[in-house]
Amino acid sequence: MADKSVAKYKISKPERLFALTCALLYSKVGLSKHQILSSIPGYMNEYKPNGNNKTLERKFERDKDTLRHNGIVAEAVIPAHEDENNQATVYVIKKSEFVWPEHIKLTARQLALLSLAAEAWAGGSLSTAANKGIVKLRSMGVVGEDSDIAGIAPRIIEHEPNFREINNAVSDQRVIKFDYRNPNTGVIETRALEPWLIQQLDGQWIVLGFDQKNKEPRNFMLRRMVSKVTVAPNSAPFEAPSPEDVKKATDDLEKFADSQIATLRIKPDTAAFFRYEPKLREQKSKDVLTLRYYDKFVLAEQIREYPGQIDVIEPKELSELVQAGYKKVVDDHG
Amino acid sequence: MIMAELRKLSDSDRFNLMLALVGNLIDGAPYDVPELAKHFKVPEIEITNAVKTLGFIEINHHSPYGIDFDDLEDGNVALSFKEKMSLKEVPRLSARQASALAAGLVYLKSIPGLAESDEIETLQNIIASGFEETKAPEIRINPVGIDLDIRILRQAINKGVAIKCDYQDNKNVTTTERVIEPLRIDPHSEVIYLRGWCQEKQALRSFRIDRMRNTVILEDVRISDQAKQAELQDEIYVPSDSDVEVVLEVEPGAYGLMYDLKPIAEPVAVNKTSRRFTVKVGDVRNLGRLVTRYGGAAKVISPEDARKAVRDFALAAINPETADTPKDAE
Repeated sequence: MADKSVAKYKISKPERLFALTCALLYSKVGLSKHQILSSIPGYMNEYKPNGNNKTLERKFERDKDTLRHNGIVAEAVIPAHEDENNQATVYVIKKSEFVWPEHIKLTARQLALLSLAAEAWAGGSLSTAANKGIVKLRSMGVVGEDSDIAGIAPRIIEHEPNFREINNAVSDQRVIKFDYRNPNTGVIETRALEPWLIQQLDGQWIVLGFDQKNKEPRNFMLRRMVSKVTVAPNSAPFEAPSPEDVKKATDDLEKFADSQIATLRIKPDTAAFFRYEPKLREQKSKDVLTLRYYDKFVLAEQIREYPGQIDVIEPKELSELVQAGYKKVVDDHG
Repeated sequence: MIMAELRKLSDSDRFNLMLALVGNLIDGAPYDVPELAKHFKVPEIEITNAVKTLGFIEINHHSPYGIDFDDLEDGNVALSFKEKMSLKEVPRLSARQASALAAGLVYLKSIPGLAESDEIETLQNIIASGFEETKAPEIRINPVGIDLDIRILRQAINKGVAIKCDYQDNKNVTTTERVIEPLRIDPHSEVIYLRGWCQEKQALRSFRIDRMRNTVILEDVRISDQAKQAELQDEIYVPSDSDVEVVLEVEPGAYGLMYDLKPIAEPVAVNKTSRRFTVKVGDVRNLGRLVTRYGGAAKVISPEDARKAVRDFALAAINPETADTPKDAE
């Protein structure tokens, strides 16, 4: 048996976080900051009973953030009989909010599918979160069972430099600021947004949020941001949107896309024809294809990949956009 | 053949692993370290260390978990829950963890033939039940419709046999018959690739699935040893020594090129928004399509023949009747 009393033994961060979680989860009335710092391993060994513990307090604040990012909320509560006495604040992790709501077992196949879903983020900003999630989920699987879904490696492509910052701001409900280029006018303007949701539509990453200037929900394409996204330090979190607000805004965008229809003629036996053949077959058409789209600039890019193979019948502005792009490329390389 | 590398764990990962372990292990039941490592897909040492740490924890002179340290050194784990305060429940997912997994599932759902859709829905419900219900999701993916059936390719991979198909060669817009030993399917956001051994070229190649037609399984052609031994990189395009260095400049709208093309050095800022970088390209004709699609947000700076390739590509686009069909390499 190893000797735990060896003085040199250093409490690691995972051990401290785990002990903190246990203590806050099982204490009957919660623990005050003083109780935490003076009794939990990882803090208590550095605690000065009558001294300045500012460094330790900061460590505790950081640990609370780490817990939150792991899905564990250490809530600050003032006991009812203490009225509004801030000094009496205690911290507690509510069991009902901590544990999975029901007992779930996952089959080996389900775990394999979930692992694949996590691996799809490989190398992307969310791979850490996805991996941590999958480790938790594996605890609901039976050890020893094995099912691999071999021969496929799906990848979600995410290489927007601002993705992580925006994703953090969505989680933490922080207002973001960025310079945004309006694709229609080319004008660059600084925007302030309460970010609600990151979406990938048509292969493009879009952040939906409440635009503070226009006082309404708006969508911004990440690739049109021409500055780093910033979050004002120490800014207060904005009020989280209700799922209904978010749904209404995403529905509105879908309705908008429904109203935008392009008609294209695809030249048979070309690369473009190969690309769109399944869609043509679906529409029971030989060469004329109708496409619904979110953004004409994105569609114009897709069309420009197949020069001379796709004829834009309508809308006219899309046709002009495609041609203007070709002309600009010729001029740039003259 | 294809091994995902085991990630190095951070402190926060290790904490997460400890939570997962206590949620998984049954009080007092025996497990062995390699089995647990395989289950959680972490190195064995991480399991040993996590269990050890659990054994060390002491809160107010109580140890919530009992372990046998000597047994652990031999690779055996038996964790006993000694106190009322020994945590043994699985915590919920954080909103971000749930969102990341949910978005990954949506993406899987869009891949034909991978899973039954009700199977994915069950998993989506499990994920949803595992985090705060009042919170809206943070990420949503509405995949590009992948309308091609990849079932047949997956069958071939699972059986370990080759396939035959008509492949549209982009060079001269003709179709050629190919025999491919399939290794892995790589769905990317707009295109799905089949990574495999091309018998004709005797090399690893990436094939766009949208250019394959009339695919049939060749039941008698087993995947060769050379294909099995070939190292599959994560990158679709692997540069070779004969490649030329091309300098490109991109505006934000075309920053994607910086990631697709894998610059050989860190991109340099030309002004507030433009970035300049160098890539290695096997055939400059490939640049025509890549650069032209951005309609001016990307341009080639040098060498001259690469600039000309792009110019010719775009010119042909303006006058499709007078020019030859633009060519680019496979």
